[in-house]
Amino acid sequence: MTNRPPLVSAPASGGLQTCAARPPFVSWAAKKLAAGLVGTALTSALAATAPNFVSDVRPIFAKHCVECHGPEKQKSGYRLDVKAIALTGGEGSAPNIVPGQGATSPLVKYIKREVEDMKMPPKGDPLSPAEIATIAAWIDAGAVWPDSASAAVADPLDWWSLKPIASVTPPASAANPIDAFIRAKLATNGLTPSPSADARTLIRRLYFDLTGLPPTPEEIAGFVADQAPDAYARLVEKLLASPRYGERWARHWLDVVHYGDTHGYDKDKLRPNAWPYRDYVVRAFNSDKPYARFVQEQIAGDVLFPDSADGIEALGFISAGPWDFIGHAEVPESKTDGKIARHLDRDDMVANTIGTFSSLTVHCAQCHNHKFDPIPAEDYYNLQAVFAALDRTDREYYRDDARHARFQALRRVQRETAAALAALEAPLRAQAGEAYAEITRRLELPPQTDPAEPGKPSPSRGYHSALSSTPDVTKWVQVDLGESIEINRATLVPAHDTFNGIGAGFGFPVRFKVEASDDPEFQTGVKLLWQRYDQTFMADFPNPGRDAFTTGGGTGDGIIGRYVRVTVTKLAPRKDDYMFALAELRVTDRAGKNVAAGRPVSALDTIESGERWRKSNLTDGIAPAALSAEEKAELERARDALLLGSADEPTKSRRAALLAESSRIAAELKSLPKPDLVYAGGIHTGSGTFKGTGAAGGHPRPIHLLARGQVTTPGKLVGPGTLSALQFAPARFDLPADAGEGQRRAALAHWLTDPKNPLTWRSIVNRVWQYHFGRGLVDTPNDFGRNGGQPSHPELLDWLAADFRDSGGSFKSLHRRIVMSATYRQAVTANPAAEKIDSGNTLLWRQNRRKLEAEALRDAVLAVSGKLDLTMGGPGWQDFVIERPEHSPHFKYELANPEDPKTWRRSIYRFVVRSQTQPWMTSMDCADPSMRVDKRNESLSPLQALAMLNNGFIVSQAQHLAARVRAERPDDLPAQIARAHALALGRAPEPAALAQLVAFAEAEGLPALGRLILNLNEFTFVD
Amino acid sequence: MAHDSPFHRPAATRPISRRDFLWQSGGGLGGLALAAMLGHDRALAADVSAPASRPVHHPAKAKRVVQFFMAGAASHIDLFDYKPELIKRHGQPSDFGEPVEAFQNGLGPWLRPIWDFQPYGQSGKMLSEVVAPLGGVVDDLAFVHNMVGKSGVHSAATLLQSTGFQLPGFPGAGCWVSYGLGSLNENLPTFVVLPDHRGFASNGVKNWDAAFLPSQHSGTIIFPGTEAPVADLFPHASGKFITPRGEAAAHRLMADLNRQHSAAREGDQRLDARIRSYELAARMQLAAPEALNLKAEPAHVLKLYGLDGGPQTWPKEINADEEAFHFSQKCLAARRLLERGVRFVQIWSGNDNSFPRRNWDSHENVQRDHGPLALGMARGAAAFIKDLKQRGLLEDTLILWTTEFGRMPSSQGGKGRDHNPFVFTNWLCGGGIKGGTTHGESDLWGYKPLDRTNPTTVYDIHATILHQLGLDHTRLTFRHNGIDRRLTDVHGHVIKNILA
Repeated sequence: MTNRPPLVSAPASGGLQTCAARPPFVSWAAKKLAAGLVGTALTSALAATAPNFVSDVRPIFAKHCVECHGPEKQKSGYRLDVKAIALTGGEGSAPNIVPGQGATSPLVKYIKREVEDMKMPPKGDPLSPAEIATIAAWIDAGAVWPDSASAAVADPLDWWSLKPIASVTPPASAANPIDAFIRAKLATNGLTPSPSADARTLIRRLYFDLTGLPPTPEEIAGFVADQAPDAYARLVEKLLASPRYGERWARHWLDVVHYGDTHGYDKDKLRPNAWPYRDYVVRAFNSDKPYARFVQEQIAGDVLFPDSADGIEALGFISAGPWDFIGHAEVPESKTDGKIARHLDRDDMVANTIGTFSSLTVHCAQCHNHKFDPIPAEDYYNLQAVFAALDRTDREYYRDDARHARFQALRRVQRETAAALAALEAPLRAQAGEAYAEITRRLELPPQTDPAEPGKPSPSRGYHSALSSTPDVTKWVQVDLGESIEINRATLVPAHDTFNGIGAGFGFPVRFKVEASDDPEFQTGVKLLWQRYDQTFMADFPNPGRDAFTTGGGTGDGIIGRYVRVTVTKLAPRKDDYMFALAELRVTDRAGKNVAAGRPVSALDTIESGERWRKSNLTDGIAPAALSAEEKAELERARDALLLGSADEPTKSRRAALLAESSRIAAELKSLPKPDLVYAGGIHTGSGTFKGTGAAGGHPRPIHLLARGQVTTPGKLVGPGTLSALQFAPARFDLPADAGEGQRRAALAHWLTDPKNPLTWRSIVNRVWQYHFGRGLVDTPNDFGRNGGQPSHPELLDWLAADFRDSGGSFKSLHRRIVMSATYRQAVTANPAAEKIDSGNTLLWRQNRRKLEAEALRDAVLAVSGKLDLTMGGPGWQDFVIERPEHSPHFKYELANPEDPKTWRRSIYRFVVRSQTQPWMTSMDCADPSMRVDKRNESLSPLQALAMLNNGFIVSQAQHLAARVRAERPDDLPAQIARAHALALGRAPEPAALAQLVAFAEAEGLPALGRLILNLNEFTFVD
Repeated sequence: MAHDSPFHRPAATRPISRRDFLWQSGGGLGGLALAAMLGHDRALAADVSAPASRPVHHPAKAKRVVQFFMAGAASHIDLFDYKPELIKRHGQPSDFGEPVEAFQNGLGPWLRPIWDFQPYGQSGKMLSEVVAPLGGVVDDLAFVHNMVGKSGVHSAATLLQSTGFQLPGFPGAGCWVSYGLGSLNENLPTFVVLPDHRGFASNGVKNWDAAFLPSQHSGTIIFPGTEAPVADLFPHASGKFITPRGEAAAHRLMADLNRQHSAAREGDQRLDARIRSYELAARMQLAAPEALNLKAEPAHVLKLYGLDGGPQTWPKEINADEEAFHFSQKCLAARRLLERGVRFVQIWSGNDNSFPRRNWDSHENVQRDHGPLALGMARGAAAFIKDLKQRGLLEDTLILWTTEFGRMPSSQGGKGRDHNPFVFTNWLCGGGIKGGTTHGESDLWGYKPLDRTNPTTVYDIHATILHQLGLDHTRLTFRHNGIDRRLTDVHGHVIKNILA
């Protein structure tokens, strides 16, 4: 006991919130020392005079522990100032304090620094032996902790968003319930609402708000002139009925779900089939799809509404976010990097689901229990289990509902028939025995013959590389043609071998390239004959079976070389190992002659196994022959005879019926047009590294609790479930053991859309409110947890949520409620007195002036120039040129032609690239498709000004605007200018301004004037 | 108004005033705009008197940062981290003493450094002959040889080094610096990216875009020496109708009309800020070409950078002269930008992963790709450091050389090396960094850190850079989706050993 004097009496540095009346500090150890007890005798002598928590133990905690395990921080969710947590908590080792067991309590081990990685405190001075002894003794004596000495913690469930939606009656002060709530709060704060905006302002506001487009001057004039009391209501109905409405509001939804048309990450490959989900969202808004149905379809449409196209397309929600191609397609699930990629993939699905529908940050609970909200890590992994069978993949369906239903039915019967046939044949096959197996082998493995001696079987199989324990190894084999010649094409003939029952296509490379060079080392002058799936990453090459593979070429592309090399970057599986083999490599010249025949072969490695496998076999002209159709039919007849030899008549006729049914279904499926595809969450059946769960029956992958999110240290296995903090329904899904994976998603969909779920309904009405006012009633639409905001008008939020829920979840009714209110219709007034009270206008004493978002701005430019193409739906238009699509596509926006009319469609139909976001849109604060965006940034910068002034889009549309007004008001410059002004800004210019504009246009021309008008503040801001 | 500091985000529920809005979204617009729009309000103007250099947490040693980023993963053992044991054991089967999971299983025999090493400078630091030009400035460099990554996958590893996170959707380090310190010259962007002349590395713009930070903190892409180095700086080619005289008239008239518009809408400072942004845009049109006019440099400077030869043609295959030309050109442009107040310049070497190789991902042949890339980089970087030093700029300019991860000491296919996320090298220079030092070692092979329990991470590097800039990395935060985000996530320690 030499390291520290035992008389430690430093006061607590961290301080406990509850110890305002701390007793005079006297260390228990010091008292003991005073009583003459020392050193090792301490623990044994304790029972009679146990340390007192308040005077002896708590000061030690305060000094060493509470800084990280107290009111400020709760590392690992553990606190030593709160009795309940101190005595029960401790994550993996809980409870850290076991009353009566001082020596073995984890806490004592940690402070004695006996546990690697858990030496406490990790920084700063360790506890002195006396301090450790005090704590151990206190635990030995039962860890008595008076309730009065525990810091108070808020009940984690006592939080507004987790409580049931209240049944609220609006104040009686106004006819419109929204106005009643808003005015009541204004009144208590000494504020009054602003007057209504004028008609011209209202129509411009409402058009942008509901459709994302400006009204035409004619529409404005008509509305201004319409004095009928229901003029505004009729305008609202007209706009809600417009297809432009769905286009506008779908874009908001796509921000939240982070939709994109490419994968993101490295190799930002295209998703050519993502757009049906985007179109589904547009359609859902336009058709006013009830919200519950909208939610259910996006989580489990294939299960709950299997016969509708919407039920499949909606699953694009699950796949909307980025996907790590390399982490899936290049790294197997067995490697750590592959495990991380798949974990993060599910993480995105879970975060997207709960963030979008429940406005909680559940993903914060992947390393530890949520720090601020009552979300244990287990909840998070239960949610991962819901999506555990899924990958992001193309799904087949038909856009036509009737055809889709038929397609689904056929596939169901097909699965059932195949299963019935397999069950029926299994015993027959077993009885047919070896003779049956032999014929089957012959069908799959025809004899190889030496062309020099027809009919005589040859032992020569081909070239066979050395074995490797993993597939991702580069190997090569090459032939020396003897002289440099112009090469037409190369043919790779697959080998056969019965090893491991593989048969045809034995060892055929999974990824490879074929190159020619005059350099035997292939260092210089390398020319590609065929590059398929080289190691910079594409999908695997399907095994060709017995069909030879021939490269392209032969078009006089001048491939010249003496050596032809096959480089394999991904080997074929054999049995617990990998290799590649080829029966034959043929290289033809322009005359079609095989110039490789008999030429010397070299390779990185080879097994050289007798006559069967050796390098020289690659060019010996001996390869497996294909069976003729007659031979094949004959063998099949013989096989069937063997199979049915022992079968009784009912079995035979049943088999015949099943076969007939099977071919009938196959024929009908074949007669259907090619299915449509949507990129969605689904069961993936793939080859190579990205296998998915399909081949194994589509069962969910096992999901383990991962301490600190580490895939290398899986904890206990968890099942499907959801947030336990909401107590209206059980959080663990109690599903039968044989329930399909879809049942998990169906359970989550039902949980989300339960009328009693308080988050779902509050979340969505708050989002809609935000898009109408520029600020939500809760200003953090993706976070209703403790780190987020609280509602400015809780009663109004609950009233809106309940009203929306109870009236069928109709978005259009909700819009109507909001835009018909006087609150919405207020002018954007300046009111210094009100600013002093509520500078942020949280209480809505006026409307907010809105800066147009990137899409609205772009669409408005096109509407004003007269070039807007209102064609709806379909694959996204692209305003870039793709270079190097075979590797990492380069998206060259600067090479696009701004005069390409294809790019004049609405921005919602833009092909959204993740790695190279559209520069102009990005500078206008467009949503980043890699992030779940609940609220767009709003910035102003010189770079934004430059983009607005100089980008090809603006420069070209300025000229179209000029041409338009020239055509509409021929030979009258002032009228042309007034027209451009009215189109863009919704009003005629003041006389003085018109004079200035005319002078400018006379000097600089109409296109320059058009560009100027599009750059005015008044065009970008909406009152 | 302490809560107006970007380091102390107010609770999200607090009403956001217009002025807060400007701080959060228009900070990069800079002091002049803010001062102009707040000029009438003395109480407010007082604490934004010098917003261009925003308040820092502690006195700064550095004002600006340059980050050299080698895309595809540069080999530490062939450039900077001398491993004589590999020479001794060259060709023997590699044995790491533990199972190794390599990206492409490149676990062939030990492969000696491709180039010879020799000592340089007072410090006697061993450098590979392929980076010999850096020998002349080696006493200014501080090496960190025990860097560890988290993933051997290019995209994730690049994001980790560029943004501190493995997933897309987080701001680049330069964005954080721009957000934290603001602009020194509002006529130029605060954060500039000089990509490889062939194109972007893995993840494209996700390595430097602002993500959840306001968009003006995004890296501005500049391709020096090309026809249009900055996008949209001048009107698109189809804008033949736009004349210089007309531009001036347009700006005057726009400002006039905008002022009439905002006069009727009192109290909305965004309207004035937008007017101001057009003035700044016009000034940037003057400032950027001037800054990027490399021809204005005197002959001896061009010679220092090896740019005195004029435009050249190059062979089709990757070659050292061409790499040196492009890298040096970026370095010289960077120096001119830094002199003129740009805060953070990121200089890339290497395009994405493809064939034929045009980055550092030398799976097949280290000599073929690393040779020209390394020599080109070393010539440019050495000239750059000398140039900064002779101008007194090195004192407060911090340089970081980094990459995705290292490469394995074992061979792949004979001449290549596989990914090594387990250890790699960074070096730093200038900006209060102690030159001629080495912090952290790799093991005998350059396979993992010598002391595996105390590696250095990108969080430590970023924490150190922010520290030198006067910023506490734990206090530079921005709330997004419920989390107070930091460049260093929840990690990071300042590397005191390498501070002067």
